[in-house]
Amino acid sequence: MPDDMQAVWLTVLLAGVTTLLLFPIASPLAWWLARSDSKGRSLVEAVVAMPLVLPPTVLGFYLLVMLNPESFVGGLWFNVTGESLTFSFSGLVIASVIYSLPFMVQPLHATFRAVPVPVLEAAATLGASPRDQWLNVVLPLAKRGYLTGGVLTFAHTVGEFGVVLMMGGNIPGETRVLSIAIYEHVETLNYQAAHSLALGLMCFSFLSLWLVYRYAGHRFEVVR
Amino acid sequence: MRNQLIIRGCLERARFTLDLDLSIDLNEPLGIMGATGAGKTTLLRIIAGLEPDFTGSVAFCGDVWRDGMIDRVPTHQRGLGVAFQDSRLLPGRTVENNLNFATQRAPAVDSRLDYMTLVEALDLQHLLCEPVDSLSGGERQRVALARALLARPRLLLLDEPLSANDGVHRQQVIAHLGDWMSAGGTPFIYVSHAAAELAQLTRQVLILDQGAVRALGKTDTLLDAGNVVPGTEPSSFAAVVVATDNDSRTATLEFTDVDDAGIALNRGERVVVCRDVSEGSGLDASLQPESDEDQR
Repeated sequence: MPDDMQAVWLTVLLAGVTTLLLFPIASPLAWWLARSDSKGRSLVEAVVAMPLVLPPTVLGFYLLVMLNPESFVGGLWFNVTGESLTFSFSGLVIASVIYSLPFMVQPLHATFRAVPVPVLEAAATLGASPRDQWLNVVLPLAKRGYLTGGVLTFAHTVGEFGVVLMMGGNIPGETRVLSIAIYEHVETLNYQAAHSLALGLMCFSFLSLWLVYRYAGHRFEVVR
Repeated sequence: MRNQLIIRGCLERARFTLDLDLSIDLNEPLGIMGATGAGKTTLLRIIAGLEPDFTGSVAFCGDVWRDGMIDRVPTHQRGLGVAFQDSRLLPGRTVENNLNFATQRAPAVDSRLDYMTLVEALDLQHLLCEPVDSLSGGERQRVALARALLARPRLLLLDEPLSANDGVHRQQVIAHLGDWMSAGGTPFIYVSHAAAELAQLTRQVLILDQGAVRALGKTDTLLDAGNVVPGTEPSSFAAVVVATDNDSRTATLEFTDVDDAGIALNRGERVVVCRDVSEGSGLDASLQPESDEDQR
């Protein structure tokens, strides 16, 4: 059981770090997608959405190839930190950021697209710089998008299995997340332990989705 | 140089090409008129730096704001106050919050026009805590006007700021606006279809027609009988006078045949002319379109 608690903690940590990293990564990307007329936009949209349709094993396989210490990226990381990106927590974070990218980008994209350009123009005429407009006009209007993106990203990362299995393995305290722990319990025919973890995940997923529909479905509050 | 506005250049649009070579002394308030689609709003947007496709130069008070395709001074540093026709309030916020947005970004200059005076004169005090999304069109326009004034602008651009308001509010606000502007000396440009408003507020008028400048001159002269004209020359059309005011100086007409009008008006749409006419008579003139609300 302490092993399982460790897996729960590791999963929460992984999902939390991934979500926090994706806020600043996905924001400019989603903003660009929402505002750009560039021909490259559909290309970028397609790349961002890839993890939605790819089997996680495919993604995991290429990440394993790209990030292992023999590869360029993995080697560079190894030289700088002395740590391998494969079969490590840092590697899992990178994988999760890529794997969950569409779950953050798409809600933000939708919410940014709904910010009316005329209102931004009006803000500019009132003396608001582009940064000021972003912080004080766009962000307050995008609260729902951030809530949705945050909850979906967190929940999706918690539910990650194939990618972790491919490039993280099953190292307790390092890469052994909840879904892997459940898998192992089933493999070792420990259905009792598998049940308690699986049921917990079910409840968590339901609660987070309910949270999204309950609050993100509402009209934004009036700022006073 | 003081309050001199210079605009040279052109902007292509689907419906017209705006071709400008203007040097206007804004120490005298300027009115802009012209039919719908003549380029009035686009001209204001060029001055505000909101038309990235405009090629040419814009300068105010000797400061070059735009040179070729490059904004030397971006919109937010031009010291503007703009009341857009469609209001453009910050959604999901209260009236007070919208006004504060302007106040917080306004330069710290002395202004006769303080917050409470403005709120009372524009009849907004009972709306301050309302979310802007629940306001009527006229109320939204008055908030937008207050917001533009609270920005303490160097140059005020008003694009039909009262078109959705009823006659009472219009008259009230225009009277105040006239007082404030002459007292504060803030240069402003006022776009309107309503000749009466222009006569009351402005000293000079620019008439636009399909992107070209038809006339620029003294308001009194240009608004004189028969000259209220966005068209090139007077054209005859079939119209029936449906009402006149007491001294027969203003008449309300109704078009009976669209083709005769030669300007963008629909059948049954009404216009007002300043001319000696009697009810039931026909007219031979070109006219300035006026929306229904202007009659009230």
